[in-house]
Amino acid sequence: MEILAGFGNGLLVALQPENLLYCFVGVFLGTFIGVLPGIGSMAAISMILPLTFYLEPTSALVMIAGVYYGAEYGGSIASILMNIPGTPSSSITCIDGYPMARDGRAGIALFGSAIASFGGGIIGMIVMAMLAPALAELALNFGPTEYFAVILLGLVAASAVSNGNPIKGITMVVAGLMLGTVGVDITTGAERFTMGIPEMRDGVHLVIVAMGLFGVGELIVSIRANATGAFQNEIDYKKFYPSRAQWKAMFGPILRGSGIGSFFGALPGTGQTVASAVAYAVEKKVSPNRDGFGKGAIEGVAVPEAANNSATQTAFIPTLTLGVPGSASMALVIGALMMYGIVPGPRLLVEHSDLFWGLVASFLIGNVLLLILNIPLIGLWVRLLKIPYRYMYPTIIVLICIGVYSLNNNVFDVWLTLAFGWAGYLMRLFRFEAAPFLIGFVLGPMMEEQLRRAMLLSRGDATVFLTRPISGTLIAITVLLLVFAIGSALRQRRRARRATRTTSETEPLPTSNKG
Amino acid sequence: MKHILSISAAALMLALPAVAEPGKWSDEPVRIVVTFPPGGTSDLIARVLAQYFESEYGQKAVVDNRPGAGGTVAADYVGEQAPDGTTLILGNNAPFTIAPTQFENLPYDPMGEFTHIAYLGASTPALFVQPDAGITTLDDYIARANGDGITYGSSGVGSITHILGKAVDIALGIEQIHVPYQGSAPAIQDFRAGVLEAYYDMVALNGDLITEGETQPIALAAPERSQAFPDIPTFRELGHDIVVENWTGLSGPAGMDPAMVETINDTVAEIMQLEAVVERLAQFGVEHTPMTAEQFTGFVEGTITTWEPLIKAAKVNG
Repeated sequence: MEILAGFGNGLLVALQPENLLYCFVGVFLGTFIGVLPGIGSMAAISMILPLTFYLEPTSALVMIAGVYYGAEYGGSIASILMNIPGTPSSSITCIDGYPMARDGRAGIALFGSAIASFGGGIIGMIVMAMLAPALAELALNFGPTEYFAVILLGLVAASAVSNGNPIKGITMVVAGLMLGTVGVDITTGAERFTMGIPEMRDGVHLVIVAMGLFGVGELIVSIRANATGAFQNEIDYKKFYPSRAQWKAMFGPILRGSGIGSFFGALPGTGQTVASAVAYAVEKKVSPNRDGFGKGAIEGVAVPEAANNSATQTAFIPTLTLGVPGSASMALVIGALMMYGIVPGPRLLVEHSDLFWGLVASFLIGNVLLLILNIPLIGLWVRLLKIPYRYMYPTIIVLICIGVYSLNNNVFDVWLTLAFGWAGYLMRLFRFEAAPFLIGFVLGPMMEEQLRRAMLLSRGDATVFLTRPISGTLIAITVLLLVFAIGSALRQRRRARRATRTTSETEPLPTSNKG
Repeated sequence: MKHILSISAAALMLALPAVAEPGKWSDEPVRIVVTFPPGGTSDLIARVLAQYFESEYGQKAVVDNRPGAGGTVAADYVGEQAPDGTTLILGNNAPFTIAPTQFENLPYDPMGEFTHIAYLGASTPALFVQPDAGITTLDDYIARANGDGITYGSSGVGSITHILGKAVDIALGIEQIHVPYQGSAPAIQDFRAGVLEAYYDMVALNGDLITEGETQPIALAAPERSQAFPDIPTFRELGHDIVVENWTGLSGPAGMDPAMVETINDTVAEIMQLEAVVERLAQFGVEHTPMTAEQFTGFVEGTITTWEPLIKAAKVNG
């Protein structure tokens, strides 16, 4: 009841003409920034930060939040159309979105992504409204031991993401883990694989890896394959409305993606990328269409988009109620609030309830605005693919370079991205998949950090992982998942052996990597 | 072109009277390079400065965030720019005090390649423990550390809070178990989850937790008690000479015109005394003390030598 009253009150705040306007400005700017490769919500928020000094705190927060989740909407557009992740977390959307676009189903992919984002956003909002205090409490109970256990679970689920050869898949996960070790060791301060380059001390930034492997790598592949400028399959412009079967196929993934996304969003330090990576991995395990993943499955687009959008909403829970920013963008939100003399923390919900509920209600309005904004634009985005390569490629390369440069204002990062572009091209050539690599790279460093911290805190006693209740439960689930995975793999092999005995036909090679 | 501009700027400076007036020092916009990404205390201080440079003196200024490698990327960059007053760095202990001892192949010389212009202020870290751990005094803390042992969180290896932890180890003759985090926010989160027994952090950023009784401050690493938290004793008055402050200042490339340096120093000094600025900086726990450019240069050099043994101890023992 209290929640309903709060939400109703918040709706009145959010519907004030001024707040409505800034909400629109926020989501519009966010979508636009999200489409531009590499320029994420953080760059956008820091650009509008000085502007917010002239606004009411609620309007400012509503606008900043709009940019933040608007960028996740927009991020999927470049991922689907050009295999270039507009935001780091939408790199997961590339895996299935781009094959769909190559298939001539770009419109459906974009529509599905918009619907999934909307569903994720709304569910994330409901979670925030109902569970903010409880989730904040839960996040507080998550120590290093629990973080380690939940990431281990994610990684085990992720090792099943690879489609083709399992040895290549595991190789890629391990390669991702290894790349994640580059930089100063957080626990001892020792430099690892930095080759004496100061810029390498902080490790390799996710945006650089994602942009290089997906964006630049894809460009090189396309240039070599398509020098004449003929683009992919013909696009049917009328067909961007999903069929009833596709709606049905998306429903479950949206719910599961939103659930996983809401959870990881509320955990400080994990955020949208981990959310969409884990959600994708889990969906690939449970989906009836799991064999279609990586080849253009609508479920593979819906799940990461639902997850990352719900995570953008619940990311505000620890930020506002604990004062613990989960990401750099959330740190900016705290910085902005501090400018107004509002200290995020346990008392914010009581002392600034208008601000909190106004923000929650603005999520509803913002998500509706985004849907209205995005559906009519699908036709326009798809038409972008008609632009001849000779104009498109140089533009994309310039945008990628600007985006990567804006990370740290450092040219070194641009060179590094181009190097990863060549690595991505070679991987494509030899049919190594980028998805398990990326997931290993995202989860590995975090798992190492939490493992070593947990061991420091327990003074070297490894049994804490089993004796602490939350962590023990998660480890048990992980073991069950492993047993299940090995069991089903063995069954599949037995079935395959039987099949080859009865028919002489050989299995076709996995086709996800045609380029 | 740039050369001609800087010569004419220098000529203009020579024509000015000997005593510098606060005011504009460059016709071009000034970039204030910040060693952290947007949103942190450092970034906010830079934005406050930029705002008042423009509104009070008509000096256009923009903030340029160049995070990376503990501030050394930004310092290396600024050290290589033209000393015409258009590129300044909001420096702090990380690139100037700690890095020279911490890193073997530092690409710059913290004294020789910079003009240290103006001291802005410092915030002070303190030791915090769990409120229900039965520790209320430093003696209790020492007893616990010597008995069951104690784990403390810092904001990272080689960070100012880690170095303070080391200083406490050495001064008190105890051995705390160091647990590094990436910034103080995750450390405090683990502290509130009950997995950490203690942590070191800037006292001003813990004001809410102190008033709510969620954390128990033990001792402050400042020369004197804080005005905002007069109940917290200093290490010094408890008989241990531990002063570790998180300083911030404005520096530029080496070879800047002395008259221009004086102008910037005076301008900053005036801004730092504006009531609105004092209030805003107090939120971040930053207290300003006026210093001339020479005093500030001596201060930076002093911190490098006094911290060296602590940084070395932190580096060896983790």
